[in-house]
Amino acid sequence: MAESTTHALQQDHGHHHDDHGHHDHHGSFVSKYIFSTDHKVIAKQFLVTGIIMAIFGILMSTIFRLQLAFPETSFPFLESLLGKWAPGGKLDPNFYLSLVTMHGTFMVFFVLTAGLSGTFSNFLIPLQIGARDMASGFINMLSYWFFFTSSVIMIVSLFISTGPAGGGWTIYPPLSALPQAMPGSGLGMTLWLFAMALFIASSLMGGINYITTVMNLRTKGMSFDRLPLTIWAFFLTAIIGVLSFPVLFSAALLLIFDRLLGTSFYLSDIFIGGELLHYQGGSPILFQHLFWFLGHPEVYIVLLPALGISSEVISVHARKPIFGYKAMVGSMVGIAFLSFIVWAHHMFVTGMNPFLGTVFMLFTLVIAVPSAIKAFNYITTLWKGNIRFTTAMLFAIGLVSLFITGGITGILLGNAALDIPLHDTYFVTAHFHLVMGSASAFGFFAGVYQWFPKMFGRMMNPRLGYIHFWFTFVSLYCVFFPMHFMGLGGVARHYYQYTAFDFMGVFGDLSVFITFAAIIGAAAQVIFLYNFFYSIFRGKEATLNPWESNTLEWTTPLKPGHGNWPGDIPAVYRWPYDYSKPGIKKDYLPQHIPDEEVEYEEGFPRPAVVPQREQPAKVENEETKQAEE
Amino acid sequence: MDPQLLIGIAQVLLVIILLLVGLNLSLVFRYKEIDPFAKWNPHIINANLFFMFLVVGLIAAYVSTDIWSEKFVFMNNPASAHGAEIDRMMFNSLVVAIIASVLTNILLFFYALKYRYREGRKAHYYPHNNKLEVLWTIVPAVVLTLLIFDGVGVWHDTMTELTEEELDEAIVYEVNGKQFGWTVRYPGEDHTLGEANVGYINESAGNDIGVNYADPEAQDDLIVNEIHLPVNRTAMMRIRSRDVLHSATIAHFRVKMDAVPGMPTSFHFTPTLTTAEMRERTGNPDFNYEMSCQQICGGGHWNMRRVIVVETQEEYEAWLDQQKPYYEIWKTLASEEEVKAAEAAAMAASEKEAENEEVAMATE
Repeated sequence: MAESTTHALQQDHGHHHDDHGHHDHHGSFVSKYIFSTDHKVIAKQFLVTGIIMAIFGILMSTIFRLQLAFPETSFPFLESLLGKWAPGGKLDPNFYLSLVTMHGTFMVFFVLTAGLSGTFSNFLIPLQIGARDMASGFINMLSYWFFFTSSVIMIVSLFISTGPAGGGWTIYPPLSALPQAMPGSGLGMTLWLFAMALFIASSLMGGINYITTVMNLRTKGMSFDRLPLTIWAFFLTAIIGVLSFPVLFSAALLLIFDRLLGTSFYLSDIFIGGELLHYQGGSPILFQHLFWFLGHPEVYIVLLPALGISSEVISVHARKPIFGYKAMVGSMVGIAFLSFIVWAHHMFVTGMNPFLGTVFMLFTLVIAVPSAIKAFNYITTLWKGNIRFTTAMLFAIGLVSLFITGGITGILLGNAALDIPLHDTYFVTAHFHLVMGSASAFGFFAGVYQWFPKMFGRMMNPRLGYIHFWFTFVSLYCVFFPMHFMGLGGVARHYYQYTAFDFMGVFGDLSVFITFAAIIGAAAQVIFLYNFFYSIFRGKEATLNPWESNTLEWTTPLKPGHGNWPGDIPAVYRWPYDYSKPGIKKDYLPQHIPDEEVEYEEGFPRPAVVPQREQPAKVENEETKQAEE
Repeated sequence: MDPQLLIGIAQVLLVIILLLVGLNLSLVFRYKEIDPFAKWNPHIINANLFFMFLVVGLIAAYVSTDIWSEKFVFMNNPASAHGAEIDRMMFNSLVVAIIASVLTNILLFFYALKYRYREGRKAHYYPHNNKLEVLWTIVPAVVLTLLIFDGVGVWHDTMTELTEEELDEAIVYEVNGKQFGWTVRYPGEDHTLGEANVGYINESAGNDIGVNYADPEAQDDLIVNEIHLPVNRTAMMRIRSRDVLHSATIAHFRVKMDAVPGMPTSFHFTPTLTTAEMRERTGNPDFNYEMSCQQICGGGHWNMRRVIVVETQEEYEAWLDQQKPYYEIWKTLASEEEVKAAEAAAMAASEKEAENEEVAMATE
């Protein structure tokens, strides 16, 4: 029944467009699945592209993990796979750095920024605030296609003869600016910069859309203090992105100038490849300031959506309101603000003024306070809950654990004096892979398992989900926890092999262990891929509200069409976290149920006075009116 | 082939086989419409697995820390004055970090176990408690304030520039990063490093860091293979790079500073343990202080090693006496004009100095 009404709505639209000729593009495959302006389709496009990029990113990491574990061993299959980049089955040092660089780039930008925000901001913002689509469906579509083009260029750069960019995902000049410095700084770097420019454009178009949509298209009664925490997180993430990505764009643009036009923004006094270069007066440190002005907020662009998703998932499956809603929002606002004034903690040992180090140490450690508040609030939400261990919930709980374990070492790294020895060691690798990489990836998985029924109208197999979770969770800890030991042993990051230094070489066994854990963890993702793609077509049919959740997206039909609700958009009467409210018959109370229709437990006195705040009654939605006209 | 590798491959194959068997079984069960796990309660299983994960994880973390901690460089025999302070603070911070993360993880997984789903039970409606929120805002804030105070102090002590007198007393040396290695220069008898700029680089003349040998102060400079430092005397490491970013890192001294082309940097420290003492302490007769590069700089990044020898003042002086100014070698490699120009400059400089002295004497 639900599907037929959706169809009717679409037909309505079809007639509306008849004047423009006889291409009924609502029915055509191209307009429905490729150049779609429907936020749900765009979200799925981001999701699938993100998954493909993640496959590349993870495969690259397993290849360089092999090199790190077995520096003296030759793997003939590597030569057949990589050709000249693995002569004799041993990885080329320059290609090793390229793999590390592209792994970072793919995972940070393409998977955890676009794959995470692109998917869930797009999918959930209109559905959870009660809007028919994004403020601008067209810009939203452009956002995806810029991202798609950017992804294609990045992937193409893997296959060129000089190899992909190799200067680290932070592309510090002069290494990234001078093709003489390494093969990866040639065409690979040019493609990288070009792809990132498109990526930034995509991200900005997405961000502006998310902000506008949240501010203007909320349904009746959906005040800001009734927004689900997911929406708060996406909203703040978009604001951070819109404010910080342009700075990366300018940094990249100046780097392009230095590379192509011979300007000296970042370069000075350089002798390389047997010749003296003409660059005078630039500063490589300037690039680092510009880069990290995005780069640090970027960490929170990656993390906040995951925290938003886990807040929602934990509340739903613990059958309890999220503890301290206002504190959660406040701490996210705090994190968003502080994220702009901590960037130079990546630069304590670049030779910048030590006084600056003091200031940035202060702000960096202050940002630990809102993070701690969030962690405690998650735990208190579980306290006296009735926890349903769905796959999404497993990933959300896992996220909290990873967030704590990974985040806590920030109090060491944020301390400028301790950063002197720890900077650019495996301690840093352990820290950010746990707190930013793994925790955000868990947010992504939690989101996929939670909203898969809404995306595809089918359920994912929970048992495969459990297996996927446990392999992933355990192997992540096995990979990244021992890296703390290597970091405290002074082992440097970005090293092709540790054999040159006595104090680094002693961690060989640990490196082998990490590599096996990484391979098992990577293999476990096959379970997810199988479960995901199989369930899209053959999964069990979902019910309308499978998790008994309060938010608006579950009031739409099983497979909502463009426009989301076939009839009026439901109005909202309360916040989204009334789970297990005393006196209410069920253990959840959806946002759209009017107070007079709430079912109370027997014998529980119905409140005499219904709170009169923002009673929207049944107002016709403007958009539906227009459609009817 | 490496036996370890074979074992590894066998393990991976085993996992794959297990997965395939599982898949096969699941297909059979699906076909016959049997559900062998129908009675398994996912809430009980997952809740218990979380708790098991906690217990096993804590034990594993403890045991592995016990095994690996003796291989730590940090918090283990700090070999410099500021390094001891850093180690003390690192230990304290780690204790705070471990206590906080272990306690919160225990609560997390314990609640997951205790409050797992039971049919018919309703969760406790507990949307907020401002006292609790204030509590866990203030406690972390206080702890962090203490850490910040400590950190600012140590950071300040480590990074404050040396005074003129301290600098006069210090051993000054210079490391020059390049792809891929460090070139080390000592100032020679005049205690002053001569002028250097990438513009003077002439690799065929063995001048790969651009020392201006026409500068008389450069003519007594030493280019050495090993860095030698006397124990308990402040060392002033000047850092330059001629091509890309490098980072001069000496893990055992808790020293790290980037080498930035076009912007000389520096780091000063005081070694407190000689190489011989360190060999005794670590029980490793082959121990050496090693300088590495820890800023990604290209294909040879992993291999920029320089040995540092810390010794007594007498040993240091004996070593220094053996070193010859690099100017002598340079003269045999450089072109005639360059050598002539350098000699003329030196002559002019010494004449000028003599003149100055005469003037000074005359004014007296």
